[in-house]
Amino acid sequence: MNFAMALDYQSCIDCKACEVACKEENGVQLGADKQRIWVSQSEKSIFGEPFVALHPSQCNHCQDAPCVDVCPTGSSYFALGGIVMTNKDTCILCKGCMEACPYDARFVDDTHVAVDKCTFCYDTRIVNGEMTTACQATCPTKVRLFGDLDDEEGELIQMLNKRKFYVLKEDEGTVPKLFYMLPEHDKNYAMNSVDPDTNIYTWDEFKPIIEMAKAKRKPQWQNMQE
Amino acid sequence: MAKYAGVEINPVTFKSLFTSKGMYIAYVFLFFAIIGMVDVFYERYFIPSATAFDAGLNPASREVAEAMKAAVFGDGGEVKREAPWSLYIVNYMYMLYVGSGIIFIVAFAELFSITLIKKTAAGFLTLGLAMIIAGLFTILMDLNILHLKSMFFSPRFTSGMWLMLPLYIIYIPLIIFKIYLILSDNKTWGKHIAIFILLLSILVEVVEFYIQAKLFNMNEARNLWTTYPFLTLYFMVSSFAASAAVMVLYTYLTYRNTDRSKCSDLMSLIQKVTLYGVIALGIYEATAYLFIDKRWAEIILFGDFKFYFYLYLTLAVGIPFILLFQSFIHNKYKIVASVCIIFGTYLGKLIFVYGGNAYPMSDRFGVGFEKYGEYRPVRDVIFFMPSWGEIAIAIGSIGVIILVYRLINAYFSVSKMREY
Repeated sequence: MNFAMALDYQSCIDCKACEVACKEENGVQLGADKQRIWVSQSEKSIFGEPFVALHPSQCNHCQDAPCVDVCPTGSSYFALGGIVMTNKDTCILCKGCMEACPYDARFVDDTHVAVDKCTFCYDTRIVNGEMTTACQATCPTKVRLFGDLDDEEGELIQMLNKRKFYVLKEDEGTVPKLFYMLPEHDKNYAMNSVDPDTNIYTWDEFKPIIEMAKAKRKPQWQNMQE
Repeated sequence: MAKYAGVEINPVTFKSLFTSKGMYIAYVFLFFAIIGMVDVFYERYFIPSATAFDAGLNPASREVAEAMKAAVFGDGGEVKREAPWSLYIVNYMYMLYVGSGIIFIVAFAELFSITLIKKTAAGFLTLGLAMIIAGLFTILMDLNILHLKSMFFSPRFTSGMWLMLPLYIIYIPLIIFKIYLILSDNKTWGKHIAIFILLLSILVEVVEFYIQAKLFNMNEARNLWTTYPFLTLYFMVSSFAASAAVMVLYTYLTYRNTDRSKCSDLMSLIQKVTLYGVIALGIYEATAYLFIDKRWAEIILFGDFKFYFYLYLTLAVGIPFILLFQSFIHNKYKIVASVCIIFGTYLGKLIFVYGGNAYPMSDRFGVGFEKYGEYRPVRDVIFFMPSWGEIAIAIGSIGVIILVYRLINAYFSVSKMREY
């Protein structure tokens, strides 16, 4: 198993249902700055016509996550399936992981005085055999698709085989596992909100990158820390 | 005067120990430390916070209501996205590096048998030790002390942060042992192992700077830190300039009234060390930006950090170079140069840490993240004001230096010039 998520971000309507579901199901600290997942907005214009681009995001569960390396107590670790987890009982709040993360995906949970982040609902759903996350389950426009990259027949791989995508801050070499899908139609319009230097991938092109990072990191995968 | 294990211990009453002028100055700084600790610990452990579970399970709870109010109208807890924790890092870096730098310079002077430094080595080493303890005090305030046992029970040996633990467990006793050897009358024994201790301490110093560099270099997202050429060397060079400046200031404050001629000689000697340090720092800064990621270099040299960067260069390199380059200058100019270096290098660390931290912080809730490029800054997260608690703890750490130094000096007279 190698868990990842595809985001059909052009379908996001910014209803925030995912943010609410995440907080509700995972008991995330209340507060606008305390989010495991979020939707960012940018306003742009094309020939004077304004438009808003919405980018739902969260921890990228990088295959080669730098946050794991810097943690002095093993509080940040890879769970089975390559999910990056945090153990709040052993976090000493050195904030090294927050500095190491290129995606600004971590925050301090004041209720535990420890760092918190998205877990892909590993502790609440995935260990119980479910294959959806709270944010995916609640999304009215089906933006998120959680799945297993090792399951060739699975819905995620089917989608990745069909559509092109990009990942965030690829230059950092962290091999992120959030795939931003370009729309099947109207691709040119979507490209207006994508940096021209960004690499657009097919799954066949990206798969070897994932496999290489997985081979490097898989020996570190472990059962969920209690 | 009592003598234990070959070391003379001064009989000091508590009254004379804690009511001296130096101690009063320490109390003023320590007052800031206490204010900072109260502020930080209150925010960290006592401000009400709640989760969605609390809201569902205890809808009528007054505490939950307070926490929800704080979640909406509060300032976002101790670590805020728009005002992260950089001053702690700056302060502990500065204290640890400069303290270690003093110890390194003393070790080198001993290696080359520079008599004046050897005579005052105990005082300098105690000052270095006090600065290291002040640095560790700052780190301690930055961490969740309730979970610190995890450093021992679930260690990740490869992380730079963890490696600091065994390092200082070895390093601090080693410095204390070196001070003991200087104070002790057991000269024969001391002589036999002196060279071993000396080389070991130099090795530990180099390892320390290497681990500190590794700590920053592991943050792949912070390209300012990862592309600095020879980061270990940068930390050493910038520390040595600051360490030498602190030594000049210490020499003046300690010996100006006791032995004027030796004080002047010692200041002139350290003046040369300081000048070499300043020149090395200048050469490093002049060439480093040829290697640093161009986009980061642009941010520091021509972007929002330019004012601070050129102020740093002026204070840490420009003014001291002009003043110290002359062979015979009045002591007051040496003091001016030293103070400039101390403030300048602190500012340099500030630029290094803030520069690395501020820019990659994407604005998750507004415009900017869609660009997912860390080189397009969101203006309002650059040069944020640290919390008052952080500032108070940074100021308070000076009190820790004075307290530790004066306590050791009161009992062991480390500041006394002695034959080696």
